[in-house]
Amino acid sequence: MRVTLSATARRGASPLGLGLFAAAVVVLLLFPQFVKSPYALHMMVLFFLSVIMGESWNILGGYAGQYSVGHSAYFGVGAYTTMILMTAKGIPPWFGVWVGVVVVVGVALIIGSICFRLRGPYFVLASIAVAEIMRLSAFNLKELTNGAEGILAVSVPPLTIGGTVITDFLSKVPFYYFGLGLALLTIAVTWVVEHSKLGYFFQAIREDQDAAHSLGISLTLYKNIALVISAILTSLAGSYYAVYVGFVDPNTVLPLDLSVQIVLISIIGGIGTLFGPVVGALVLVPLSEALRSNLITQAFFSMGLVSQDSKVGIFLQENLAHAHVLIYGILVVIVILFMPEGVLGFVTRLVQKITRRDA
Amino acid sequence: MIVFLQSLMSGVLIGGVYALIGIGLTIIFGVMRVINFAHGDILMIGMYLTYFLFSVFGIDPFLSVAICIPVMFAFGALTQKFFINRMLGALPQNQILLTIGLGLIMSNTIMLLFTSDYKILTTSYSSGSVDLAGISVSQPLAISFFITAAITAALYWFLMKTDIGQAIRATAQDREAAQLMGINVRWTSILAFGIGSALAGTAGALISPTYYIFPQVGSAFTLKAFVITVLGGMGSIVGATLGGIIIGVTESMSAVYISSGWKEVVVYVLFLLVLLFKPSGLMGTSRM
Repeated sequence: MRVTLSATARRGASPLGLGLFAAAVVVLLLFPQFVKSPYALHMMVLFFLSVIMGESWNILGGYAGQYSVGHSAYFGVGAYTTMILMTAKGIPPWFGVWVGVVVVVGVALIIGSICFRLRGPYFVLASIAVAEIMRLSAFNLKELTNGAEGILAVSVPPLTIGGTVITDFLSKVPFYYFGLGLALLTIAVTWVVEHSKLGYFFQAIREDQDAAHSLGISLTLYKNIALVISAILTSLAGSYYAVYVGFVDPNTVLPLDLSVQIVLISIIGGIGTLFGPVVGALVLVPLSEALRSNLITQAFFSMGLVSQDSKVGIFLQENLAHAHVLIYGILVVIVILFMPEGVLGFVTRLVQKITRRDA
Repeated sequence: MIVFLQSLMSGVLIGGVYALIGIGLTIIFGVMRVINFAHGDILMIGMYLTYFLFSVFGIDPFLSVAICIPVMFAFGALTQKFFINRMLGALPQNQILLTIGLGLIMSNTIMLLFTSDYKILTTSYSSGSVDLAGISVSQPLAISFFITAAITAALYWFLMKTDIGQAIRATAQDREAAQLMGINVRWTSILAFGIGSALAGTAGALISPTYYIFPQVGSAFTLKAFVITVLGGMGSIVGATLGGIIIGVTESMSAVYISSGWKEVVVYVLFLLVLLFKPSGLMGTSRM
């Protein structure tokens, strides 16, 4: 933790880092001009979604040190609010999203007032319990949420400004740009938090609550501020996901597994760092998709490790795709045991070692 | 009145199995101060082991408890030795994440081996019931309650009367002092995790005739185990036993008097209330 503190204490960004970041943004902006494959765009949307979720959790979990394992609650509130308003009331998602934000702020403050009285493992347990209550409520409040059947949106109304149609949401390209925009927004918010007084307060609370309190930092106030920022961004991710997929049900937008995956993006990438969740998403999304689409099984076949017609081969082809969350489990165990600063910290240290040897 | 007694009865019966799950978690927490988020997944492995023994060798689920206990003990002991042991002094958050990761590996490996289909273990007595003064008692639940009671009694005897049991209790009370008294705390930790896993696995075996068996069944039981141990007081075995029965009765009462869809919500709300107003739990002062 101390390493990240000294890294974040450095104000401003290095010219090299800033240049790389700008180059990456330019490439991402031009990406749909050159790549037309819907599958590639879909992968990028999943990547952006992971970045948004990871960065938003990171503000509360990474900077303020409050390990919420109930972030699916905020994701679900955003997703459900937008979908309910769109399908039942005909309100287009770009208005519904903001209603979702308002609702999520209320929900976050209620959850915060309960959970922030608790510390450490008890806080983790309470956050899980609250998210589970929300999931079960979504199952039971059938008039509002349609219960286990979920809500299906047949089409998304086109986005118009002053009569001119900006986009009709018929291809994946508008979703790509919305995802990119949201991902950049969350990174920007994290950067601002990191470089403001707020960020220092958060980190003081993370390092030692009691010491921070004795220095006059109001724990309840700043923990709740971190939670609200984090919850708003997570609810945007939820709304974005709901409109993109066009379907929500309690087990896809409110499960415990989602909360766990949100946490793991930051943990695997590098907790409490600006680009940790981006690295986490870069590692997790392709690996998880490689398992899901049987790419790994195909690789085993082509390497000659397993014969395609053997019992093991058939077995892997049929089952490995379902177990794509396995990679989250294996990675988090490796990261926790061997690289406590995440992949980003590990790689940075490796690079430093090599450059030092050269010098 | 008969409905009340009926739901009380089934609540107590299922509460016995819950107690077993809670005791396992509380022993692990007591000795290592590690909150085991893979507890429900260990229970799930116990369920699949029982299912496997039943469908391949035709072994009765209640007889397979005798196989489940040593196998799950070894599984837990090895998990402790190779993974948990490295993290004993680490931040509680990282310990939690490690056990979450282990749980994901367990549930997804089982999914790989058995697919994600729901399995049902049907025995000749699965839906059988005994009439007891007008109250019908589910036969598999009744048998599992008696096995639970026997195991709990044996566990009390082991912890209270044997040297090893005393060593485990001493480690739970004060790890450093126990070490100074010549107790090998590494061994007691391995033992404790083994016992905790064996209890969870046994609970899995006992409920397998009455529950759907699927790879993700664990997380619901992990949460339930937390509710039980926090309610009873983390680290207290008597508390976990009481907590298990209370949660069992609460669930079956709210299923009857509110609705079965809301019964778990009632349990979680109760959990939050305990966390907020009596975080030490019912038996919070006594440590094991």
